Amino acid sequence: MNTTPKEIPTAWTTGYTDIFNTGTWRAATPVHEWRPSPCHVSCPIDNAIPQWIRLIGEGAYEEAWLSLVETNPFPAVTGRVCHHPCEGDCNRAILEGPVGINGLEHFLADQALQQGWALPAAGKPLGRRVAVVGGGPAGLSCAYHLRRLGYDVTVLEARPKLGGLLRYGIPEYRLAAEVVDTEIQRIVDLGVHVRTDTPVDGAEAFARLRHEYDAVFVAVGAQRAKRLQHLDEAGGATRVLDGLDYLRRVSDGEDLALGERVVVIGGGSAAIDVARTARRQGKQVTVMSLETRDVMPAQREEVSEAVEEGVRLVDGAMASGAALTVECLTLECRLVTLDPEAPPGVLRPLPIEGSDFLLEADAVIMAIGQDADLGAFGPALQTEQALLQVDPDTLATSLEGVFAGGDVATMSRYVSVAVGEGRRAAWGIAAYLAHPDTQPLPHLDLSQAVAASEVNTYYFPSAERTEKERTPAERRLDDFREVALAYTDAQAASEAGRCMSCGLCIECDNCFVFCPDMAIKKDDVLDVHYAVLDQYCKGCGLCVVECPRGAVHLEQVKL
Amino acid sequence: MEQLHYEIDESEVFSSGHNACPGCGEALAIRYVLNTMGPNTIGVVPPSCIAIISGPQPYSSMRIPVYQTTLEASAASAAGIKRALKRQGKDDVNVLVMAGDGGTYDIGFQALSGAAERNEDMVYVCLDNEGYMNTGAQKSGSTPYLAYTASTPGGKPSDKKDITEIMAAHRIPYVATATVGYPDDLARKVAKARDMKGMRFIVVLTPCLAGWGIPENSAVRVSRLAVETGFFPLYEVEDGEHYTINHGHIGRPVQEYLGIQRRYRHLSPEQVAEMQAGVDHKWALLQARSKLECEPQFVPSTG
Amino acid sequence: MTTTAGDPTTTADDAMTATGETRMLLTGNHAVSYGAMLSRPELVPIYPITPQTPIAEKISELQLSGQFDVDIMTAESEHSAMSACITASLTGVRVFTATASQGLLLMHEMLHYASGARAPIVMAEVNRTLGSPWGFWPDQSDSLSQRDTSWIQFYCEHGQESLDTVIQAFRVAEELLLPAMVIHEAFYVSHALEPVVVPAQERVDEYLPPFNPVHRLDTQLGESWGNVVNQDMFYRHRKALTESMALVPQAAIDADADYERMFGRGYGILERYRMDGADTVIVGFGSMCGTARVAVDALRDAGHAVGLLKIKLFNPFPIEHVRQAVAGVPKLVVVERNVSPGIGGVLGQTLKSALYGMSHPPAVHSYLAGVGGVNVSARTLVEMITKAMADEPVAESVWQR
Repeated sequence: MNTTPKEIPTAWTTGYTDIFNTGTWRAATPVHEWRPSPCHVSCPIDNAIPQWIRLIGEGAYEEAWLSLVETNPFPAVTGRVCHHPCEGDCNRAILEGPVGINGLEHFLADQALQQGWALPAAGKPLGRRVAVVGGGPAGLSCAYHLRRLGYDVTVLEARPKLGGLLRYGIPEYRLAAEVVDTEIQRIVDLGVHVRTDTPVDGAEAFARLRHEYDAVFVAVGAQRAKRLQHLDEAGGATRVLDGLDYLRRVSDGEDLALGERVVVIGGGSAAIDVARTARRQGKQVTVMSLETRDVMPAQREEVSEAVEEGVRLVDGAMASGAALTVECLTLECRLVTLDPEAPPGVLRPLPIEGSDFLLEADAVIMAIGQDADLGAFGPALQTEQALLQVDPDTLATSLEGVFAGGDVATMSRYVSVAVGEGRRAAWGIAAYLAHPDTQPLPHLDLSQAVAASEVNTYYFPSAERTEKERTPAERRLDDFREVALAYTDAQAASEAGRCMSCGLCIECDNCFVFCPDMAIKKDDVLDVHYAVLDQYCKGCGLCVVECPRGAVHLEQVKL
Repeated sequence: MEQLHYEIDESEVFSSGHNACPGCGEALAIRYVLNTMGPNTIGVVPPSCIAIISGPQPYSSMRIPVYQTTLEASAASAAGIKRALKRQGKDDVNVLVMAGDGGTYDIGFQALSGAAERNEDMVYVCLDNEGYMNTGAQKSGSTPYLAYTASTPGGKPSDKKDITEIMAAHRIPYVATATVGYPDDLARKVAKARDMKGMRFIVVLTPCLAGWGIPENSAVRVSRLAVETGFFPLYEVEDGEHYTINHGHIGRPVQEYLGIQRRYRHLSPEQVAEMQAGVDHKWALLQARSKLECEPQFVPSTG
Repeated sequence: MTTTAGDPTTTADDAMTATGETRMLLTGNHAVSYGAMLSRPELVPIYPITPQTPIAEKISELQLSGQFDVDIMTAESEHSAMSACITASLTGVRVFTATASQGLLLMHEMLHYASGARAPIVMAEVNRTLGSPWGFWPDQSDSLSQRDTSWIQFYCEHGQESLDTVIQAFRVAEELLLPAMVIHEAFYVSHALEPVVVPAQERVDEYLPPFNPVHRLDTQLGESWGNVVNQDMFYRHRKALTESMALVPQAAIDADADYERMFGRGYGILERYRMDGADTVIVGFGSMCGTARVAVDALRDAGHAVGLLKIKLFNPFPIEHVRQAVAGVPKLVVVERNVSPGIGGVLGQTLKSALYGMSHPPAVHSYLAGVGGVNVSARTLVEMITKAMADEPVAESVWQR
């Protein structure tokens, strides 16, 4: 008997086209891959910002906060004082303006303060001991992360209380003392040994420390104020003060007799802090900065708030000389421009002809920067330009087992940078101590981040940015109450809704919905909950374009 | 964030493995239409890209029975199926036409108009890519004014037929426009049509990558621009009179839509201005029409 | 038995016989309507054209009165009517329609589509002249021009035959899944009033089983129809169609034999009238056969050995049956009411090609008579045949009046 092959019927279908592998057509394949958002990349504390903003949006505040404190143990601090480079790089700037990330951090951190949430627990004890020299933000951040990694930590602080600049440098109207207290206590509660009033004040003390501990993190900050010689010579100690010293003494409750008219020299946050503190002491305050207002290193909000509080700003000016009389110190000033040819980081003022003017001051407070005091640590440690030299990835110094971070090792004089460096050093120390589960932390680059051009703005209807509410200017000078107020729940929800979640897939299903070939399937088993069906995807890229947030990209098919 | 609410049943009525061009706007529309109509449907498809996407014998990309008819005959063929189903006591089975613009505006128009006049019971979806794309991008009655096609290389001298208003003038129960950039809107309209009786007509603008000269990842974006620049407002007309405008002209200049399509590359600034004036005028007309009221009211009794 | 109130074609003389059938005075067209009704189609998509209109009108009346349970779709053109027929048939219901002339031509594309779809549609076709120029007269060119569309073609001589053939056509069509036309001429048959026996519905139901195709458009089956085929499939599809077509003559003979047994009337696929010993045989189809019988009788009375071969089944042309019927006959005279300019009379051409290869084929005169509806009387035929008996045939068709 003949068996003839089964012939394909000439009419009436018998099957479906899903046997055809149209995937062979494509030249590029879509890949769902998390990519960092620009805010994440620019965050000095490496915070996965879209992740916790999303959780705020879902109302999962505690979970959001736990995501935040994964890297940053000081969110209530940074929520108040961080210079928010995240907002500077936020992709939402192409619409109505950046997301209020700082405001959301402030909101979340204050929720934690109100609810009394605890930090994640310390890690399994590893039996190694680390000393942290300096109880400021860098040191305490390092202590936090070391505890979480399982190390035994002792913090040595020269002053009576922990906090460093957080307590002694930033005025309370920006950062209330009790906020600092609570956040520090949380860290200490993880089992950090603390020795206050314990300076490490010499090479011998340092060497002993190295001997007693398996590793040391140096985070003593930069406490030595820069001075202008010609003003010192003219005014002397009575008329010309050091800004940080002034803030510390006010914080200690000292009543300084400054006279009525105070001129603050400097353009950074410290200068503004000094100026606004002096206003609260009832002084007439003028701030004179070399930089014009638009390029002053102080945060824009701080400058506006200062001006609202009656601080007079003389920008783009310098004092070239001073004359002291019984009544006051008269500053001989002139307007300047900054030389554009100057090397980066160097301010080279170019006087403007015929712009001379005089400024009378009862006191002049210098806030033109600080240098680190490297006495106890050099010459043992390599230094460069008044900073300890460190490895960029591990923050290791030239001495084995010794690490450094914060203002002592970087010119980036920001709280958040200090906190971030404390964390980086903890990981560097862990690698040094052969922690089984860690590597030194990588550095992210903006070129890796999702660019604004990769965001599909169609999916983000217009929503104006919510600014933090501020105490009305006329009330602020009554005392040192906080000026910037945290968002309400409604404001937080609104602002969280503006976050576009760049690079972080939030399962909006667009890629799934917009595929003409049904080549993307939902798959709860995979990390990213979508599977690209190799056998069908034609590589058209609709999913990439319609992903609102650049969480899918095309990769060339390798031949 | 503007979250899509469109739900697709995972047991989809449209299979992968079909041979639409990568990124085809029409294939995307077919996906939404078929999945919303559901498996209790019999389809009719004339010669068109849809017919090719349907698959080669013996394979189908559509998990419902589909009958391929001649180019003129979609609406008449669908009427035959539905009437037969009714005689068999299967009135619950939906009959769906998916036809291109050629088979709707031009050669298929007689059958469509006749079916509308008789208020035949079907959902007729026109997948409109504004030309006879399957045969190499020749002009159809749906091709817009001044667009390049293989048969109007200097730009089409006549305007696009307003099939929506023509079908509304037949006073059939439901007429609507839709496009792939608004899947929620499209699915809602197909579902609404599906659950009605009588002649229901939806024209879906489906950008054609090769025919319009647009990148293969852009069909969704281009369809949105068509709506936002006022070229293709999304609206519904019930019983020939009751207008609901869903999405339309938001003030984007027509150049944003024209500029990304190679088929308009030859336009002079004067011609663009003319297009702008035309679009603005039609939008104003549509809005005026949508607000028209008259007394006495009359509600037709559906046969 | 029923008399339809207001129906001018039924009278008190209509009598129901013992078998439940009714005798009625009906035009050829109305006879078709009754034949359709008895066949129980579910859907009649239809478009009016002279001289088919009375078929549709009678169907509408019967439906309105409740006698005929059917859905009538008043299509907006014949093309749409046939389109709907095809899909309804593929959905699995029996369908019927009717047309003529221009309407048939407008359907042309869909006629091919129907046979390719193997849709067993039955259509009544009223032969009418084709424009241009305009005319409404009996002429078979319209249906003959559709010969190649793979429709079965039955040519009927009178109303009774048309009614009976409609019913038989459904049986043959559905058995072999091929569409069929039941054809009669304008006015001579369509509008001529005759006594017609209308069978009983119950008997027709016994004769014609319900239509229940295995393949159909059905959501339970999920199969689709019409996707593009490759060359090999197309080849096989056409071959299968041809093979089915080859089975039609025997199926038609059987269907007719069954019908004769049940209803007492049979026609065969061809009819031999007084052909025994004939030297000359008229070959024709349609109404002219009625006139030809009269001519044959007259010629026989005058001592000539003349007969008539009536072709009823024209497509597929029953080659073997025709050869058998004309074997040994010296001369055939084809007389037909059509012309295909360039080839001549279509029946003549077809007959000659059917006979080619016979060892002693008859000589064949191909005469064109009555083209355009011109009257062909019995006397004219007698004259024509008398002359033909003497003349040598020529290859071309010859015009006759």
